Amino acid sequence: MAPQALLSPLHQADGSATYSANGYSVIGAVNGPVEVSRRDELPEEAAIEVIVRPAAGVGSPRERHLESLLRTTLQHIILTRAHPRTLIQLTLQITSLPDEESAGDGSALSYSSLPLLPPLLTTALLALLSASIPLSTTLAAALVAISATGKIKCAPTAAEMVRAGPGVSSLHVFAFSAGRALVLAESEGDFEFGAWEEACAVAEEACCERVAGMEVDGEAGNGQAFLRGVVEGKVGREMRWRMAV
Amino acid sequence: MPRAAEISVNEREFILQGLKENIRLDGRPFDAFRSLELNFGDEHGVADVQLGKTRVIARVSAEVTAPFVDRKFDGIFNISTEFSPMASPAFEIGRPTEAENILSRILEKAIRRSGALDTESLCIIAGLKCFSLRADLHILDHDGGLIDASCIAVIAALQHFRRPDVAVEGENATIFSIREREPIPLSILHHPICVTFSYYNAGEIMLMDANLAEEQVREGEAVITMNRHGEVCQIAKYGGVSVDPMALLNCTSVALEKVKDITKFIQRRLEEDAKKRDVGGLIAELSAENAR
Amino acid sequence: MPSAQAIVLPGDTIAPSALPTSANPNKPLTLGPGLRHIPPQTITTTIAGALSTDSKKNAAWIEYNSGRYTPSTSDLVIATVTNSVSEAYTCTLTPYTPTVTLPHLAFESATRKTRPQLANHALVYARVVSASQDTAPEITCIDPSTGKSEGLGPLKGGMLFPISMGMARRLLSGRKGRVQILEGLSERLAFEVAVGRNGMLWVDGGNVRTTLAVGRAVQEVDTEALGEKGQSKVVERVLRGL
Repeated sequence: MAPQALLSPLHQADGSATYSANGYSVIGAVNGPVEVSRRDELPEEAAIEVIVRPAAGVGSPRERHLESLLRTTLQHIILTRAHPRTLIQLTLQITSLPDEESAGDGSALSYSSLPLLPPLLTTALLALLSASIPLSTTLAAALVAISATGKIKCAPTAAEMVRAGPGVSSLHVFAFSAGRALVLAESEGDFEFGAWEEACAVAEEACCERVAGMEVDGEAGNGQAFLRGVVEGKVGREMRWRMAV
Repeated sequence: MPRAAEISVNEREFILQGLKENIRLDGRPFDAFRSLELNFGDEHGVADVQLGKTRVIARVSAEVTAPFVDRKFDGIFNISTEFSPMASPAFEIGRPTEAENILSRILEKAIRRSGALDTESLCIIAGLKCFSLRADLHILDHDGGLIDASCIAVIAALQHFRRPDVAVEGENATIFSIREREPIPLSILHHPICVTFSYYNAGEIMLMDANLAEEQVREGEAVITMNRHGEVCQIAKYGGVSVDPMALLNCTSVALEKVKDITKFIQRRLEEDAKKRDVGGLIAELSAENAR
Repeated sequence: MPSAQAIVLPGDTIAPSALPTSANPNKPLTLGPGLRHIPPQTITTTIAGALSTDSKKNAAWIEYNSGRYTPSTSDLVIATVTNSVSEAYTCTLTPYTPTVTLPHLAFESATRKTRPQLANHALVYARVVSASQDTAPEITCIDPSTGKSEGLGPLKGGMLFPISMGMARRLLSGRKGRVQILEGLSERLAFEVAVGRNGMLWVDGGNVRTTLAVGRAVQEVDTEALGEKGQSKVVERVLRGL
């Protein structure tokens, strides 16, 4: 199923977005720049707070881990110096998970937090775009699985991973900026460096390839072209009054 | 520390003046709810409620645990209402505001203690195994009426939820996954719905479903929870302007009409959703029969 | 008038050919919101929106209509007083943002004794004097060159209506904004309005009905993105309803 995104579905937050792909749905909201508490205030830049809320239950170390990964990644693309001594607050609420993951049937999937990372990152970026927070660049993320036989699969679905079971020897998440710079690389499992490099190249292609290649694949919807399409919709809506009669 | 935004004097006076002249900001009659929308997720037990610009998602999930020692024959049911800064930067995680406390207390009384859910049906093996059900409330957009919207969301999600089927043989219980056996709905005894009344002008003016601005200028509120049979589950009034007891009694009959409407609405949406799923449902039923 | 609109994402580099070319080579290029200059020659975007240029002013900026208002010098805003300290009122422009200051003497013919006494949560119509990242922004209710209020000052009565920042820009930009709803309504109704760039519209029509009708008509034009014809229809409907 093709990924779907919606910008600014919420009224109260300064910016918001929903994003669903591969059975994961996330809704994100950005408030900012807002007043920051004294404790978190930074003299020359904006503080960034990321909150990840699981679909069910209260936050666990897994969410804290995701939060810190997201914060350090987003710090590099948000122009924090444009709003010193303020807070940019990002809340990401996971609204649905693939059946396989919520069933918790003991596969590698239910322990790993990596498959969640690309949808969270994409939602975060869309919400920041919706809130018009100044960014130095955009980014796109992709999940890559390497099987025990060395086969590399980009953006595997949850069902595929469950079926593969222990056949998946490692999982990787890569995020690339629009300028093809690697901004995030997280890996889990056993792998050779050569395989990692190969996986990285596959992810780069998925994130940054031009439109033509992506439509054929139909799987690399995290890419730059997808973002551009979403933003075109937003700008089109905002500019409607110019065309209206 | 972000404080809750306070309404300006101009807005306050304008809203109150309008109410004296029988005019609400959005042109609604005093006893009208905002447009109510209810959608269900792909999974069972997820209800997305939109009441005007207020939006709440309730998600029901179940796991198997040991029951409490003093309640061997009961399953466990919890409602978790943790506000996140998504709806307003004034909400902080781990530091509940008064609104959050009141919401969780009222839902506790309205749904849990009124016995809406038959917790005995959640018991698998007395004293050893039971289902632990939790309802997580996610508040996405806050424009007033959180209590009413949250209650609708939880009740709808409970009705939509399906728990895994179990088979018990002596001391052993087998829990079937969704793929093995069609999961079964919860046993719900009645459907309590909350209706909030806001009072103005020393209790003379009464509004239903106040939005955030109207909530900020109200002098008092009362929450009435009842089911469509007219059974009152609770009445909560936390301070504020005093209200004539007869007027409050009158509120219950007004609330009953709303509760009937809302219950009917939830039922209709549940049926529509069931119809949408039916294509897959029939096949699933057939395959379940074949397996036996 | 801004011409063809190119849609940009943060991080896009603006080609020199897309930038306005001024007839006067001495006139420096002005970069508006959403654009940033990376020395020596690169100009990139920071916000998603439509690139707009004005060759007469030799300016380029990104047009967008979402997010929180950030104060910028000479903007007209509607501020809410939250507190009064020794020499100034502290005010907020949008909820949860750091406060701005409004000196007690920044009102027309105000002296220590005659300055207006503003209650907490009162509204004022003001202009942003300074808005730098490193200091709290300051607002004023007088025109510094004439010392007159020029329509600024405390707002009494009336009602606030939230509108989008884009709508506020349209209302303040005169003919270019293509908003005639207020002119249309004023043929039959008498009312006062104040437009704040922070996404606020203050309307006072003397009574609840008129104020609400005007405020909600403008909100409708905003959310439905109505053009000339749509606006005259709204005017007709509102006037018939009253």
